[in-house]
Parts: sequence; structure tokens; C-alpha cells
Amino acid sequence: MGMTYIPSTLSEALHLRAETGAKPLAGGSDIMVQGKRGIGLAPEFPYPVMIITGLDELKGIKLLAEGFVEIGALTTPAEIASSSLVPWHIRQAAAGMGAIALRNTATIGGNIGNASPKGDLPQPLILLDAEVVLLSINGERRMKLDDFILGSKKTALADDEIIKSIIIPHHDFTYLFYRKIGMRKANAISKLSLSAAAEVKDGVIEDFRASSGAAGPKVIRSHEAEDILKGCKIEDIPLLLDDFLEAWNNAISPHAMPEYRRNTTRRMLTFFLSEIERGAEPGIIKEEAE
Amino acid sequence: MLSEIVFYVNDRKVEFSGNPLTRLIDVLREDLGLTGAKEGCGEGECGACSVIKDGKLVTSCIIPVGAVNGSKIYTIEGIRDTEKGKCLIDAFADGGAVQCGFCIPGMVMAAYALLSSNPHPTEMEIRKGISGNICRCTGYDLIVESIRLASERGGDLWA
Repeated sequence: MGMTYIPSTLSEALHLRAETGAKPLAGGSDIMVQGKRGIGLAPEFPYPVMIITGLDELKGIKLLAEGFVEIGALTTPAEIASSSLVPWHIRQAAAGMGAIALRNTATIGGNIGNASPKGDLPQPLILLDAEVVLLSINGERRMKLDDFILGSKKTALADDEIIKSIIIPHHDFTYLFYRKIGMRKANAISKLSLSAAAEVKDGVIEDFRASSGAAGPKVIRSHEAEDILKGCKIEDIPLLLDDFLEAWNNAISPHAMPEYRRNTTRRMLTFFLSEIERGAEPGIIKEEAE
Repeated sequence: MLSEIVFYVNDRKVEFSGNPLTRLIDVLREDLGLTGAKEGCGEGECGACSVIKDGKLVTSCIIPVGAVNGSKIYTIEGIRDTEKGKCLIDAFADGGAVQCGFCIPGMVMAAYALLSSNPHPTEMEIRKGISGNICRCTGYDLIVESIRLASERGGDLWA
């Protein structure tokens, strides 16, 4: 069993991380369950832990230059879901995480650092080309979130680093789509999720992107598939649809319920693209009335 | 670095110097004798251990006591004698919301958090407000109805 520390400042946390290798406990909603031992017993971990929940330096959402948005690692899903600064896809995913109490406890940094394939926030963040800011006593580095998450429960976080924040670039999408499929409407772990977005100008698809969550060891984005649609006219979508779906299909992990995930993803992408083709009202594309 | 954790439970100062990973629910139930919060799943899924931390609903089984330094925690014992607490508890009794009762302290805390931020919720908003609280007796309808009753009776109390 490792030691447990409670640093009172960010600088103290960084020194502790470098000297002891203690792993950060942010909100605790994943890690406390992983170390669970039962009623009346404190969780145990085979490594040292530092509880960083109280570090104000890592909280909050702010607007940077050129419309970029920075979200501190200890910001909760409840705060993200209710912030008008945060892009729509991220707010949707945050609002659908667990139930109210979890959304008041979990953090964006924890959701990313835990790197569960079923985590809700990495999927839309990777759609938007978000970057993660990593901090150590030796300084700061930034990398694409898609490169930071290496696989299920694996990240590129160095032994002396902590996640400082997430930076999301600004986008002007014409059409937006988000769907999370779970066993219940509320308080569900994702079985499959999909974000998609398109920028259409004068009938031409200038940008198209999609990302799938819970469909493989990490979030799926296929630039090869996206490139098939980029630059095409919306009336040509039916001609390109099969090639596009084939490229997407090849990107989905062959493991775990492949047919269910393949069919459902194909159906959602086809629906989103058919709405674009018919020239639907710009904005959020919904599958059914609520 | 903190060696002692200081926080407030129902306006009473608590000083804790044991294992910081001790779960908040165990401190409440074992150390402070506040047994209103119940442990159902121990994984933050069922809501039976719900308490209010700094004005927000949380599940006390997944929060280490090391994360609550400086926080103000309210449990069912802390709200039951307040006007809002009495309003809710009477509405739950009159509305027949309670069967076995195990989920009820958590349900009342969730209802308290809901009505404090949204005094007159729609039925759907009430259902969303208690969507993290599982009840295996009632089928929820009478709980939803009782929260609506508390909202109606409370009037300006919740505003």
C-alpha cells in the first residue's frame, strides 16, 4: 500500500509527483471505485496517491485568443455542461455523464487521465482536435489528445507530469450531431457514442469529421474516411456514401460486439449525411423529437 | 501539505487526522454517528449515500475525506429540522413516498438540491433530479408526486 498525500498548492503537487511518483486523485469517482474494499474500509492502491481535488489553480473555464477555450483539469462535468464558453459537443457529453452527483464530483482531467474507452469526454474532444496541457517541475508541454491517449487505460503522461488543462480550438460548424447510447436514459455507462460535424459552404462540404467512443480501445477518428467527403458537393453524398462507410467500418475495432457497433454507427452516420444532403436547417441534427 | 483535514458537517467543525482515503460515508456513519446516509452500492451509482457538499449533491461513498478540506457538508440529519427539510419530509410522508425507506435519505437530499436550484420543476425535471437515486420498492411515481407536493406547499420557501 502506498502513501497518500494532500498537497495544498500546485507547486507542492508537482514536487510530490516528481519525488514520489504519487498518482493524482482528481474527483475520485473512478479511482475510489477501483480501490474499493467494502463497507467501513478505506480504498487501497499499490502506488502512492495525492489528492489534488482542492487545487484551485486547476479549476475553471476561460476564453483564450482566437476563440480557443481552456478547461482546467479539475473542472467538473456539471460546470462544463452549463458553460456557454464550451463547444456544443463537449457540453452534450458532459451533461450525459452519470447522474447529478457524479457530474458534481468527476473531473475532465480524471476522465482523460483514466483513459477508459467508455469515458465520455475524450470522444467529442478528439473530434474537435483538442490538446492536453501537461505540467511538471521542468515546465509545460502540449500534445493532441488523440496522441496522448495511447489505448485502454494507457496515456503518454510522464511519471513527473500532471494534466493541467485541455485546450479546444474554435470551429464554425454548419451541422452538429451527438448521440450516446447506454442502458438507461440517465446514470448510464456508454455502450457506444458518436459525434459528427460538418461545415458546408455554397453546397460544398468544407470540413467533415466524426468520432466514435466505446467502440474500441481508444476513440476512433478516421481521417481517411473524412477526406472522402471533404471538398465534395452535398448532392454527391449518395455517390460517396458507400466508400465513406467502408472506410469507417475499417477503422472500428474488430473486438467486442462488432456487428452491433458497426450497424448502429453506420445508421447514425447515414442519417447525419442524408440530413446534410437534403439541405436541412443548419444547426443541431436530431434523430427524434424529444 | 495537509496533515489534518478540517471541514464542517451540519455546521459542526470536524477535524480528521486519519487515512485521507477514508470514504466520507465512513467518517459520517462510523466516526460522527450520522447514520442517515446509507451505503447501497458503494460505487456512486445508487444515490443512497447522497449528501450536499458546498451546495452540491454528491455521493459520499466515492469521496475520500482528503478531498473535503474546508468544505461544508450537510446530511439528512442537518436538514431535517429546517423549514425546507420539514416541508420535504412531511410531503414524503403525506404522499406515501416511503416503503422500505433505505433510499429515502438520499432521495430527500436529491430533492432538496433540486428544489433549492429549481423551486418549481416539471415532472421530467423531477425525474432527472432523482435519476441518480435508485429505489427498488416504489416504482418512483409516489416519490415524484411527493416532490411535486413539496414544491407546491413550500412556495416561497424554495425561491
